[in-house]
Amino acid sequence: MSIDRTVFGDNQFFGINHMSQDKAQERAERFAKLDNIMAVYDHAIDAGVEAIMLNSNDRARSICDRFRAEPEKYGHLRWYPSIPYPHKYANLVSEKGLVGAVNEILFAQGAKSAFGKMLRGGLAVATMDAFKLMKMLIDQEMEIFHGLDVRVVFLQNVIVDLMLGYDVPDPFIAYCEHIKKKYGAYPGLITQNMPMLRAKLIEWGIEGVVICSSINKIGYWMCPDRQAYDRVFAENDGEKYPLMAMSTLASGAIAPIEAYEYINAHNIQSVVFGASSPGNIRQTVSLIDPAEQPT
Amino acid sequence: MNTPLKLGIIGAGRMGITHFSIANAHENAAVVGVADPARLVTTMLGKYTGVGTYKDYRGLLKGEELDAVLVCTPPALNPEILDAVLEARLHAFVEKPFMLAAADGERFAQAFDAAGLVNQVGYVNRWNDLFTKAKSFVEQGLIGRPLRFRSEMFSPTIIRDPGDAGWRSTHANGGGAVYEMASHALDLIAYFFGTPDRVGGTSLTKVFSKQVEDVVSSSLFYESGLAGTVYVNWSDASFRKPTNKFEVFGDAGKLLVDQHGMKIHLAEANEAEGLKKGWNEIYITDVFSSVPFYVRGIEYTAQLYDFIDAIREGKPVRCTFADAAANLRVIEKLFADDASLRAGAEA
Repeated sequence: MSIDRTVFGDNQFFGINHMSQDKAQERAERFAKLDNIMAVYDHAIDAGVEAIMLNSNDRARSICDRFRAEPEKYGHLRWYPSIPYPHKYANLVSEKGLVGAVNEILFAQGAKSAFGKMLRGGLAVATMDAFKLMKMLIDQEMEIFHGLDVRVVFLQNVIVDLMLGYDVPDPFIAYCEHIKKKYGAYPGLITQNMPMLRAKLIEWGIEGVVICSSINKIGYWMCPDRQAYDRVFAENDGEKYPLMAMSTLASGAIAPIEAYEYINAHNIQSVVFGASSPGNIRQTVSLIDPAEQPT
Repeated sequence: MNTPLKLGIIGAGRMGITHFSIANAHENAAVVGVADPARLVTTMLGKYTGVGTYKDYRGLLKGEELDAVLVCTPPALNPEILDAVLEARLHAFVEKPFMLAAADGERFAQAFDAAGLVNQVGYVNRWNDLFTKAKSFVEQGLIGRPLRFRSEMFSPTIIRDPGDAGWRSTHANGGGAVYEMASHALDLIAYFFGTPDRVGGTSLTKVFSKQVEDVVSSSLFYESGLAGTVYVNWSDASFRKPTNKFEVFGDAGKLLVDQHGMKIHLAEANEAEGLKKGWNEIYITDVFSSVPFYVRGIEYTAQLYDFIDAIREGKPVRCTFADAAANLRVIEKLFADDASLRAGAEA
């Protein structure tokens, strides 16, 4: 399977700037305007980016609308959505419990939607099959990306790692099958525990999954430690488990040249990065080796 | 010591399912039972993880042979639950704010200690690498004698009318910005300096909530002369996620720290810590510790694995029932101070 070597992420628009509160505020003000977000995408496309990773957050729909509106300009782009938008669920779940939150999210679709019909038909969320429910929630998130050329659908780490702790294959199998079947895309899993997740996928016989994780020289957000990741790079089959690196600069703790030397030297298939100035975008694209390292 | 510790989860809400995952990934622990009234959750967990599921704590304590429980229920329910846990002689980790009344908290602190049971409360900031580092700087005297502090916490939790549904809507259930958020900001103060002796100038204000406060501010005083303020606002839409900010001024320097970074201004350089005279900046990427398994943050794993290690190896507990009970005393003083200031203003 082949995935894009360089993918342009969205953290520069919505992420927290860990280094400075003031910078974070500046950024929030700048990217409150959709035009400013689109200008950054245009810089990235000018720099040669052809693949975009976007979380299904509260801005994603209007961003996707802009891309859909100009197929001649943007139609060639390949999409790597990540779902769900964790903040949307977090408060709802603490407030209303899991069942209440699911009810609220599905009801938000309105009574005429498929969910509304099912619920009016007397099917209560509390007694529904969990995986059926999961697929409905996925489809609702994925609706944001309709009409775009979706290549990989990533599940956010807060869910992946939660399920990984339970040590049960079923939800992973169900997720991967649904993404392949319904969207003709590769399933992707984001994790902060890459070696453990990969080992479990092998144990469970789940293949053809893109694993996206923090990968950086200082071992930040790499559990249990960088050495365990290095051992995976040495033996991983990038066809069965393509690896995608995120947090390559470790929130700015590593200079770009040094950061991508580390990435380029290892058996890593893809890199997702975020930057907002044309100079930084061009520099990053040029620092990521275009050729995949041989396994 | 090779048999895994058998854990039960009481309350499978957001924290309960998180702790389940983290604890289950520990090589010397296994979650064997879960109690929650939500059938969707227990059915799902039971079917796929194979744990015993129960609609309440009574069934769990009766049905499973346990070493310890993780109590993640709304705090008003906790005294009843902990009475049963104590009777069953189980170690207990309880989510913050532990419970609602300080007297209850003190009773359980004494009883669990007397029974030799490990007891811990989930004030997770005590496991954040930057707060821990900042505390060690203050204790080493890097900024001299601490004189003033400021403990703040902001979040966009309640940014519109939340209605009356949900357990958060009343104090009787443990809702409100004092129990849910100021408790964290107050715990950070206690983590650094111990329990304050006096509170004053408290103001609790509603923004969107009907029955509980959304904004909390107060001053806290120590007999030693140390004093400071707490300011908590969970209706602040300018923050994207909960953020703690902590500042300490001492006679030899100043320190500002949050979950991601620290700025420290020193009158004199400190070679041992590699800090220069004037401003220094330290980021989480400079001080992070590693954990074997990550779900929501390094600190969540660290706190739970400390609990497991405390049971297995007798290691000390960083946040005990007694710590949380002392925090509830401060919370009671805040409520009383606000009430008396309002009464005074009306008279």
